[in-house]
Amino acid sequence: MIWKRTLLLVLLSITGLAFETSVFGRATLVGAKPELLLLMVVAVGMSEGPAFGATAGFVMGLSTDLVLQLPAGVSALTFTIIGYVVGRVRSQVQAPGAWLPMVMVSVATFLGELFYAGFNRVLGEHFGALSVLRAAVLASAYNCLLTPFVFPIVRALAARLRPRAAEVGL
Amino acid sequence: MIRMFDRSKRVRWLLVILIVASLAIITIDYRGKGNGPFEKIGHVALTVLSPIQHGLVAIFRPIGNFFAGFTEVPGLRARVSALQRQVAELRAGENSVAEVQRENESLRKLLGIRDRYNLDTMAAQVIGVSPSNFERTVFIDRGSRSGVKKDMPVIAGDGLVGRVIQVGPTTSEVLLLIDRSSAVASRVVSSGETGLLEGDGSEIARLELFNPDATLAVGDRVVTSGYDRGLFPPGIPVGTIVSAPPAQSNLSRVVKIQPFVDFSSLDYVLLIVGQTAASPSPTGSAAP
Repeated sequence: MIWKRTLLLVLLSITGLAFETSVFGRATLVGAKPELLLLMVVAVGMSEGPAFGATAGFVMGLSTDLVLQLPAGVSALTFTIIGYVVGRVRSQVQAPGAWLPMVMVSVATFLGELFYAGFNRVLGEHFGALSVLRAAVLASAYNCLLTPFVFPIVRALAARLRPRAAEVGL
Repeated sequence: MIRMFDRSKRVRWLLVILIVASLAIITIDYRGKGNGPFEKIGHVALTVLSPIQHGLVAIFRPIGNFFAGFTEVPGLRARVSALQRQVAELRAGENSVAEVQRENESLRKLLGIRDRYNLDTMAAQVIGVSPSNFERTVFIDRGSRSGVKKDMPVIAGDGLVGRVIQVGPTTSEVLLLIDRSSAVASRVVSSGETGLLEGDGSEIARLELFNPDATLAVGDRVVTSGYDRGLFPPGIPVGTIVSAPPAQSNLSRVVKIQPFVDFSSLDYVLLIVGQTAASPSPTGSAAP
């Protein structure tokens, strides 16, 4: 079952990246692109908990890093932390409403963009504060709009490959 | 209870391992400065992605163009609703005809600029853009197998696009001139003043002039200077001055430039392989 889940993460990464670089590269929201893979990480984290959320974050973040010119590993770090935190927060919510995924996705995207830009700044990459804030707000709004379409698909796929209790190592 | 504690501890260990792995990757890549192992893995990733991007571009480009047009020309909304019934019957056919016309126009402009500046070029299709909001690059469907090399200048029908920064076997990545890390030696056509054109990630670039007392006006055209046998041939149209505030210091002056190329709708581009014997227009006056 573990290899099936690994395969799922790889396939989600390839599909997400292909859509991000082709379709959503053109269909922007006031010039900003969505963070489709980050949205998927939040979906996995909320559905499967912090362990698989962090793993999904690492795999999908690293996939994103491979096609970027900015230092590799920063997306992996950002997505790993988000996958873990989202999984932890979700486990604390007793009665999740239908709005929870959209709120989680929006907040995670906003903070993820800020963390990503901030960490790159530490590495010597300079982004204007206003342009970072603008990108964070717009990407967050775009991801929120995409949540009802992407979230159920990713959650259903992850749940389908959920290991039985006896197989759970983490 | 003990089992639950163990599980929570294991999850924390997993998080620590993944964070350490990420930091290790950052360190290795940072030290490699673009020549590390992740560069090569990136080539493989782009090669895997390119056929999927090709397919998605073919399917979704008309839809993407529709959305782009929708946000850019709100006035069309009323007209569209009035003609909705007629359009519904012809939509599929009309979309493909409009797409072919747009493509045709784009290719005619490419041929025009190639002949105007006597350039030896290679055509390529844009198959993707960077997924990041902090990076302005595009992916094209030509790579080392077609003879693409790093730092090759790239132009579109309206002017300069940027340069090749990464080459895979079948795809390449082009750094747009509006990216933060782009720098192009440029010249103002009317006054001959030279400077360095840099992007800041937005749609507007900034030109830092070497002479702070330069006489400039909004609307002045800017072309590549080809200074010191640089990467870009001289005379390629870059953009127009949209804002020319007075110098802030005695050393340089910064003006804002609106590029001629619309980077949000790039379909086809030309890679400059070389230049034929005749020299380009010294003023770039034949540009759009």
